[in-house]
Amino acid sequence: MTISTAPVSEPVAADTPPAPARRPPRPGRAREWWLGAALVLPALVLAVLFKLVPLVRGVVTSTESSSGFGGSEFAGADNYTRMFDDPMVLTSFRNALLVVATLPVWIVLPLVLALLIHQRSPGWKFFRAVYFVPYTIAPIVVGIMFRQILAPDGPLNALLRSVGLQPLAIEWLNGRYSALFSLVAVALWSFFGLGVMTYLAGLATIPEETLEAAYLDGAGFFRRLWSVVVPMLRPTVAYWSVLCASGVLIWLFPLIYALTQGGPGDATMLPEYLVFLTTFQFLDRGYGSAIGIALFVFVAVLSIFSVRHMFTEGTRKPR
Amino acid sequence: MFRRRLAGALAAGMAAAALLTGCGGGDAADGPVTLKVLTWEPGGTEYWKQVKTSFEAGHPDIKLEMQSVPFDKYPEVQGPYITSQSGPDVMANNAGLELFDRRGAYVPLGDKAAEITKDLVTYSGACEGFDTAKPCYGVPFSYQGNVLYYNKAVLTAAGLDPEQPPATWDEFGAACEAVKKAGKTCLALGLSGTFPAYWDFPEIARNYLTEDDVRALLAGKLSWKDPKLVAVLEKLAEITTKGWANKNAPSITMLPDGADIFQRGDAAFAGTIISDAVNWDAFGKALGDDKLGVTRWPAVDPAAPLAQKFSGIEGAVYGVTQWSQKKAAGLEFITWLAGKENGELWVKHAKGQPLNKNVDKALLPSSPAFQKIQELVAQPTLHAGVMLSGPEADALARGWQQVTLGQLTVDKWAEAMQQALERSPTKKQTK
Amino acid sequence: MNPRHSARIGRYLLTFALVVVAVAAVYPLLFTVVSSLKTQAGFAHDPLGLPAGITLENYLEAFRRMNMPRLLLNSLITTLGGLVLSVLAALLVAYAVTKLRFRGGKIVFLLIIVTLTIPSQAIIYPLYQTVLDLGMSGQYQGLILAYAAFGLPLGTYQLAGYFQQVPDELIEAARVDGAGHLTILFRLLAPIATPALAALAIFNFVWMWNDLLLPLVIMGGSDSKTLMVGVSLLSGQYDVSVPLVSAGLIVALLPVLVIYLVFQRQLVSGALAGSGK
Repeated sequence: MTISTAPVSEPVAADTPPAPARRPPRPGRAREWWLGAALVLPALVLAVLFKLVPLVRGVVTSTESSSGFGGSEFAGADNYTRMFDDPMVLTSFRNALLVVATLPVWIVLPLVLALLIHQRSPGWKFFRAVYFVPYTIAPIVVGIMFRQILAPDGPLNALLRSVGLQPLAIEWLNGRYSALFSLVAVALWSFFGLGVMTYLAGLATIPEETLEAAYLDGAGFFRRLWSVVVPMLRPTVAYWSVLCASGVLIWLFPLIYALTQGGPGDATMLPEYLVFLTTFQFLDRGYGSAIGIALFVFVAVLSIFSVRHMFTEGTRKPR
Repeated sequence: MFRRRLAGALAAGMAAAALLTGCGGGDAADGPVTLKVLTWEPGGTEYWKQVKTSFEAGHPDIKLEMQSVPFDKYPEVQGPYITSQSGPDVMANNAGLELFDRRGAYVPLGDKAAEITKDLVTYSGACEGFDTAKPCYGVPFSYQGNVLYYNKAVLTAAGLDPEQPPATWDEFGAACEAVKKAGKTCLALGLSGTFPAYWDFPEIARNYLTEDDVRALLAGKLSWKDPKLVAVLEKLAEITTKGWANKNAPSITMLPDGADIFQRGDAAFAGTIISDAVNWDAFGKALGDDKLGVTRWPAVDPAAPLAQKFSGIEGAVYGVTQWSQKKAAGLEFITWLAGKENGELWVKHAKGQPLNKNVDKALLPSSPAFQKIQELVAQPTLHAGVMLSGPEADALARGWQQVTLGQLTVDKWAEAMQQALERSPTKKQTK
Repeated sequence: MNPRHSARIGRYLLTFALVVVAVAAVYPLLFTVVSSLKTQAGFAHDPLGLPAGITLENYLEAFRRMNMPRLLLNSLITTLGGLVLSVLAALLVAYAVTKLRFRGGKIVFLLIIVTLTIPSQAIIYPLYQTVLDLGMSGQYQGLILAYAAFGLPLGTYQLAGYFQQVPDELIEAARVDGAGHLTILFRLLAPIATPALAALAIFNFVWMWNDLLLPLVIMGGSDSKTLMVGVSLLSGQYDVSVPLVSAGLIVALLPVLVIYLVFQRQLVSGALAGSGK
């Protein structure tokens, strides 16, 4: 018998076990309930104390108008209505949408690399170890390094010019869109190793023979990828997608901080950086909290499908 | 049902937490008082080690527990302390608006202010509205401000006289054209962050504003659409639109990138500070003391009342917190900070400009640039940069970046500045 | 050209692509190492090139400025504490939700995974207030519990996904053999989830080790501050020395690399050891 993470409805997963019959009801249900309650207690306490309670307190703050560190007064929805007139807030969410639009690249690129490594191509152990390195490098160094690399006369443009791609040698960090996408590219570069690692962990759960059989059928690499590997890897792909969807905006924060500070102008301004600026530089806690809550709603809406998926994935009984 | 379970879980968690912390803490030991000092270590780690050793040697009844936080993370740590009215006994903030915005956290010095600060050249930056007759919230011991450093070798190579740096705006423009022809950057500049507001803005503003205007700026009563401020923005814009600065200025920060351009000898000028770092000491080491010149920023209008003065500002101000249980010891420590002993440590270990008048002159460095700075700082005036609120400082940098890239006109920039002023929670005008 | 031939060419091309990505991936580490061996002036002079001369002064300075043993200890205690606690809590929840008859389990599960979408920047102030109310400000347990809470949702989700795939008969069989719940969880289910546990361990270790937000807000500047906070203290208000910070970072990076090398083996091997094959 094998354990496969594949959804049983997939044709390739023909060797998955037949659907188990439902367990017959047993006595001691109450005891099992108490055991369950005891087991979830630590996690529940952690989630409530360090996430939900602060979130609720944040919501309360977002309805207050505070002036610096002086007292604050109830302001109702003022902070929320203010956001719609604030071009910086609108730009930051528009930029966030642009970043989210790059998610497919975040999901596919590490998958392709993980598969190549998993196929044991020459030197795969080396690649596996090396791809993870950027993720471990602190953003402050990443920021300083890429400001040099992406400078108008920096090494990247020198390389482009030397291979005859003169028109591509633009002022990367000065352009309205090139700055944002440069930032995303740097972030992707920082995090792809984490994706590769996640996928490798997922691939490890698929029986070798299943994969080998799939590889041997002679289909093209990408067709194989799409029709064979992705379905088998679905839980891992889903997990990594969830991680990216909920994390990409948060991951960009230290890089914005180190690389562009939201500039030039508001070209790389993203909501989480605006929350930071508003709260700590502008001393407007109420408004900063409101933008933070708006960001929470934005990420929650974005993740609604992934959270639903996570929920069903974690609670569904295998057939 | 679910709610009851949740409440039970919460209570259990709280109990566990209380148990965990029960054994920690425990403040009421006899022996010396331990003073918790929140600092970002202005002047460097070595200087603060000296402060601790020297102060404790002279005050056996007080121990210092330094809580050092990186400068750029300081607001994230300090903010929660202030809103929850808890934490260290002594804290620091930069003089000017940053301190005034947080005055609720500090015990005003009251009558003691004059006595504590009697030997300081100036301390108004620690007092409300820069007025020593009003409440003062702490003690500064260092002096900060901006000058224009220049690389004599680059000027010479461009056919300019290194002993006669440009003194007016037009001369500066002509010098920049010459430097550009010689293949170097004229002014090393980085427009990210708050450096443009604190380092460049006050130097141009001095040509258009009076001291009363600067106070009005602090109070939020001077409109950014006022012709004087629009003129300041126009001159700032000229620096980049005329091509005097490096091309990547809009996307780099002055530290370390901008300063590095100057340090590696690729730029003729750099507008940086007199104390702490990127100053005569650092540049002298990088370029050679004899190659380093220093001058006032060029004057747009040499006849303007403040044009030939020095926009100086006290450095970090240390004050005793409202919630401290050890206010007497805290006061003793900040009094010592203002004294001669600490002034000398500051010169020796932080290479900074001291505020205490009695610092032994023999300790002062011999660098010609430092000597020149002594002449410049002798004519102090208010520093317009530290009058800007967070939103204004931010909008100044972003607007300048966009003007440089041709995405914004100066008028629109002024409008954005005015909006930033109106958004600023601490400068909100009561209707 | 026959398909086999073209497949081989494709293979070369792919290896080439792997190499290109690898070069891009190691470059920052090289950059950091090389920078750490330059003098401040040397770095300003040529940020990207090789140094004219090698200096170890930055490392000496970093050790002089940082209380390295203490910082290292703080980081190890908080990171390992947070890591173990979050994975342990996630294991228990995942087991309860997927393998026990536990009414309300779904709601608990949903509650925990939804916290993934709460942006940390938005809750700093209230988080600090909460930590303060609990009396854990400046204490190891405050940071450990916060780390555990922030690492919890992903761990719970990933482990639940793994456990869900394990057929119930396997568990029934173990029960019949007299295994208790804990035995089933730690002897049967955990080994099956080895790759996931390894991935979680690496992921959590790295972010907890490198995190600045939580340690700063919870530990402030106290003696219990972590190594990364110590490294960021190497740059001052105006004094940013890339070589010095690089040296500090290389020192701080070593434990991360050790952990990664230890755990990455588990990522791909031993995966099916416990599957009852």
